[in-house]
Amino acid sequence: MSTNVSAEQRIALPPPRLERGVLGWLHANLFSSKFNSGLTVIGGALVILVLWFGLKWIFFDADWEVITVLGGKLAIGPYNTDAACPGNDCVWRPQAGLLLVTILMGMGWGMAGGGLAKRLALATAIIAAAFAMLPYSLDKMGWDVRLMLAANLPAVGLGWLIPKYTPLRTTRWMAVTGVVVFVAVILLLRGIEGVPGLKPVSVIYWGGMMLNLLLAVGGIAVSLPIGIALALGRRSNLPVVKLLCIVFIEVFRGMPLITLLFMSQVLVPLAFPENFPLNSLMRAAIVITLFSSAYMAENVRGGLQSLHPGQAEGARALGLASWQATLFISLPQAIRNVIPAIVGQFIALFKDTSLVYIIGMLDIVEFGRAFIQGNPEYLPDAKELFVFLALVFWIFCYTMSYVSRRIEHNMGVGRR
Amino acid sequence: MASVPRRLTYQGIPIWRHVQIIQWTTQIVSGILVVVLVVWFFGNIANAVQDRNIPHGFGFLDREYQTPIGHHFLPYDPSDTFLHAFLVAITNTLFVSIIGVILATILGIFVGVARMSNNWIVSKTALVYVEFFRNVPLLVQLFFWFYIVLALPQVREGYVILNGLFINNAGISIPMSVPSSAAAAGIWIVLALGSVLAGVAAHRWLSWREIQTGSSSYPLVGGTAVAVVIGAVCWLAVGGGFGEAPLVISAPAPEGAFGRIAGGFTLPGGLIALLIGLVIYTSSFIAEIVRAGIQSVGRGQTEAGRALGLPWSGVLRNVTFPQALRVIVPPLISQFLNLTKNSSLAGAIGYSDLTNVAKTMTQTAPAVSIFILIMAAYLAMSLTYSLIGNLYNRRLRV
Repeated sequence: MSTNVSAEQRIALPPPRLERGVLGWLHANLFSSKFNSGLTVIGGALVILVLWFGLKWIFFDADWEVITVLGGKLAIGPYNTDAACPGNDCVWRPQAGLLLVTILMGMGWGMAGGGLAKRLALATAIIAAAFAMLPYSLDKMGWDVRLMLAANLPAVGLGWLIPKYTPLRTTRWMAVTGVVVFVAVILLLRGIEGVPGLKPVSVIYWGGMMLNLLLAVGGIAVSLPIGIALALGRRSNLPVVKLLCIVFIEVFRGMPLITLLFMSQVLVPLAFPENFPLNSLMRAAIVITLFSSAYMAENVRGGLQSLHPGQAEGARALGLASWQATLFISLPQAIRNVIPAIVGQFIALFKDTSLVYIIGMLDIVEFGRAFIQGNPEYLPDAKELFVFLALVFWIFCYTMSYVSRRIEHNMGVGRR
Repeated sequence: MASVPRRLTYQGIPIWRHVQIIQWTTQIVSGILVVVLVVWFFGNIANAVQDRNIPHGFGFLDREYQTPIGHHFLPYDPSDTFLHAFLVAITNTLFVSIIGVILATILGIFVGVARMSNNWIVSKTALVYVEFFRNVPLLVQLFFWFYIVLALPQVREGYVILNGLFINNAGISIPMSVPSSAAAAGIWIVLALGSVLAGVAAHRWLSWREIQTGSSSYPLVGGTAVAVVIGAVCWLAVGGGFGEAPLVISAPAPEGAFGRIAGGFTLPGGLIALLIGLVIYTSSFIAEIVRAGIQSVGRGQTEAGRALGLPWSGVLRNVTFPQALRVIVPPLISQFLNLTKNSSLAGAIGYSDLTNVAKTMTQTAPAVSIFILIMAAYLAMSLTYSLIGNLYNRRLRV
């Protein structure tokens, strides 16, 4: 028989103090056992030491002057130098390109109506506008440069309004606008012969972060479709197509990108007739894109293999043609399954754009390195420069992986 | 009798919807396109070679290279042939690749396990490590380490630790055993390998006994002891101790007016920066692979191991990890390949790896032939790694 328990006694007791609140968290996460406590003490001490010396170095010992000396050149490289643009009046062109991009991002925000697109668009515009507010002593920008940077804020607003009042509000139109903006930016940077204010600037002077971003955006946009085609080709039951795809993928995956880039400088000019219009930037872009698409193909193939054959069979049984089954049933699921791998490849591609140094392009890393080499008085500041560059790249790459995780979450991967 | 309506009988498929015809046409067209493209490219190359009088073929391999190579493990002199220089460059890349793979695996497993730790500080530190280092281009990291190494003191003011370890901006010098004569060293190495094998055999026998009888046989201690004892006996037998030792220690020491370090084994600064950068960069990827592998092992396995009374370390070593390896090994191999390929960035920080040497070679030798050689060399390395990985993976299969 159960003993009689009075009403007061029946009230549930709170959990022991060691299992709730801050103390509970500490106990569970830091001091659950002797070994764990030891780890906490040693790890904590190490973290504090690293933080102490790291912060001390960042705020007191490091000499960040080299960043301010390079200033906007880290963004556009030698684009506005005398050699590239006699008169030094070309700086507005990359800036106008940036404005077009922020308008596009604003459109994305207006179309999506908030969420991730809104945060990205606002962050881009605010960061760009924040550079306009830098004190004069830090980066000696003229008022015109500052004004065009600050214009990114209204540009995002303008972009946001476009889907509200024009028919440019579907995904399809967004894609078209994206391509148009990309081409417009290229034209703006390249210049058009005979148009006043748009005198041509040779691609060998394109540089800085601008170059990295152009190569990355172009590469990402083109390598995904090529990669999908290669993956489908590799899985096809047509022996010739399959063999060609395998050879292509394995050759590009078997070699370092740097070797391929270098060979694109030495060998590709021989493989085309003389006077073939293919400049060094185009060659680099093509090689980076093909290299990336070989890896992309393997990622997509992994996604296709993860699908149950019943999916394709079901689609065929419903009367879809085989290309329809692939395009509308298999591929969407396959790609959804490998979003992290694909975005990882995007990130790798973006990081790999720093390898164009081998063909003499002055991207942000090579521009900084060449500056250090040309000005030995800044040699002790090389650490600061590369820490800064690491941070810049990290922000871009981490944003990409963050976006991928959000997209994955929104698509409900692993939850259905 | 119901007759079959005439219009329902088979009338043949129109050509443009006949699956087999479509497939064959696709194949033939794509094949022809590729062949035409390749022929066009090679025709252009052949024309360029003829018109511009560019050297071609592989005859250059016997010529003298006549260019110094910054750092080399094999003996090398500028009067050696292109072929020899090529081998020297491959050895340089292989050295980085093998040492880098070993170190990156150890560090990566360590960080990956730390990432899974239930200690908040440890797991968050590992997370920051992984998220930082894999999101920064390797080139930036290499330059950072390179300029750190360059910022070390000059050779004469360098750090000297215990009179055997020299650290300065030329690199790190450590004592190294070198053979006194080729024959004695050869015999000793064969004998040493034999004693290691004996130790491994003893280890296996003792483990087998431990499993059979259930009583502790200390296989690790026993195996090591067997190897050391046999090794020592062999050392004495070939003349170590009283006659001339087969291996002698060569200690680094400053030499000459500039205090250049001679003797011992010197890792040049570029190589150190390259190894640090490659190992840290690759380990951040390996850590994620290890974490994914460990997570792929069901929780029940860990819990069962704990329930059997194994400590956490024992569960990890004997239950979780062996099962996780099956998931870990294939992507791990591809990271090894990435490390090997990424070592081609060495040229940026002044280390003569395969790509860097080949790049210099194209100034005096035909580019097409060099390209074919590099492709073959990297392909051979990739295949070797894949082969080892696949063999190992086959052993892991249940």
